[in-house]
Amino acid sequence: MSAKNNPSIAEKTAKLNELIAWFDSDEFELEKALDRYSEAEKLAKEIEQDLLALKNNIQVVKDRFSEA
Amino acid sequence: MENTNNLRLGVGDFIALTNQTLEYAYPTVEVEGEVASFKVNQGKYVFFDLKDEGGSVGCFMTVWQLRVPIEDGMKVIVTATPKLTQWGKFSLTVRVVRPSGEGSLKKSFELLRAKLEKEGLFANERKRPLPTVPKHVADISSTQAAGYADFIKIINDRWGGLQVDVGHVQVQGADAPDQIVQALKYFNSQENLPEVIVIIRGGGSADDLSAFNDELLVREIAASRIPTLVGVGHEVDISLADMAADVRAATPSNAAQILVPDKQEIIRQVQRQLGSVLPRVERVVAEEQAGVKRQLEHAFERIDSRYEQYFDGFSSLRRVIRELDPSKVLQRGYALIRGTIAEGSVIEIEKQDILITAEVRHVSKK
Repeated sequence: MSAKNNPSIAEKTAKLNELIAWFDSDEFELEKALDRYSEAEKLAKEIEQDLLALKNNIQVVKDRFSEA
Repeated sequence: MENTNNLRLGVGDFIALTNQTLEYAYPTVEVEGEVASFKVNQGKYVFFDLKDEGGSVGCFMTVWQLRVPIEDGMKVIVTATPKLTQWGKFSLTVRVVRPSGEGSLKKSFELLRAKLEKEGLFANERKRPLPTVPKHVADISSTQAAGYADFIKIINDRWGGLQVDVGHVQVQGADAPDQIVQALKYFNSQENLPEVIVIIRGGGSADDLSAFNDELLVREIAASRIPTLVGVGHEVDISLADMAADVRAATPSNAAQILVPDKQEIIRQVQRQLGSVLPRVERVVAEEQAGVKRQLEHAFERIDSRYEQYFDGFSSLRRVIRELDPSKVLQRGYALIRGTIAEGSVIEIEKQDILITAEVRHVSKK
């Protein structure tokens, strides 16, 4: 699956930062604010869910290092 | 009479038999004592005596086996094989020597620290940053140690999606430095290189932690092509391995905190970011409302001003009209005359409150 269809947490966080920055930019328009906010809220929820769902994979790959 | 059953051997055979017997009885011994007459011959061979109040024994080893600096007067523990030389001299062939007791450990630490510092192994310019959010890391530690358990727990609490390749090694004792060196070489030679190598060990005595002051190990850490994060002992413990690492952690738990971000903190940050947007929108709405209010006020002011202008005009007009009212003139004492002004004609004179009929007797120009 491409990164576009399945963005990583970092990509989603970058997108969220971009959306939040829009509210402070000169491009801000009150008429568009509600849609942008809904989009940011959805993204924030996704990031939270992604973070909580991720598990680490811990593997003992070698347990004897006595021989040179 | 001489006992013919006695074992009779040549000198060489006797030495070989003695060594065989010693090897069988004491394949490896650890002997503790104070170093005396320490010297290095031809830059290769190390000789010293190990002594205590009970006696003295000669020791031999190569320079390459000497992994910590020692000098006369230091108390050390040697791991060695007893041997009778072909010249009939008894000695210990030393494989490992390590300082014993706080004073010697400290002395050895300072000697090696000064040497490696001079070579620039601990220089800040050599330090590399760790990736902010690594995806693949290697961990070198004892999987049975509490420090390892703390590290893994905190990693799992803080972050996810991380591939952790663990190399299990001894983290104390004579074999520990070599095992850690081998583990470092192993991870550095992988096709799929980890982004960070983490070396951890929980707290312990100065002797327990002395493995992390081994010269070869310190050099291997400094030479690692993968950035290293070392967390050994408690906050107060500083090892040479720590100093050679790219990043030093105070403890194994601290190493986990340095290695990965805290997902709960990221979630809180995202919520804060989102929360910060609403006041901004509210502020803009308030500004828009204030703008509209200002415009309305301005319009009202204009209407009010126009009204006053019209009202003032109308009032003046009324005053003028009022002044033109003939009854007002009569009130001021004037009289209104009606009729033809010619001698002999009858005219009517109206005053404020009376009407007079009069005859005109004479008319002349003023």
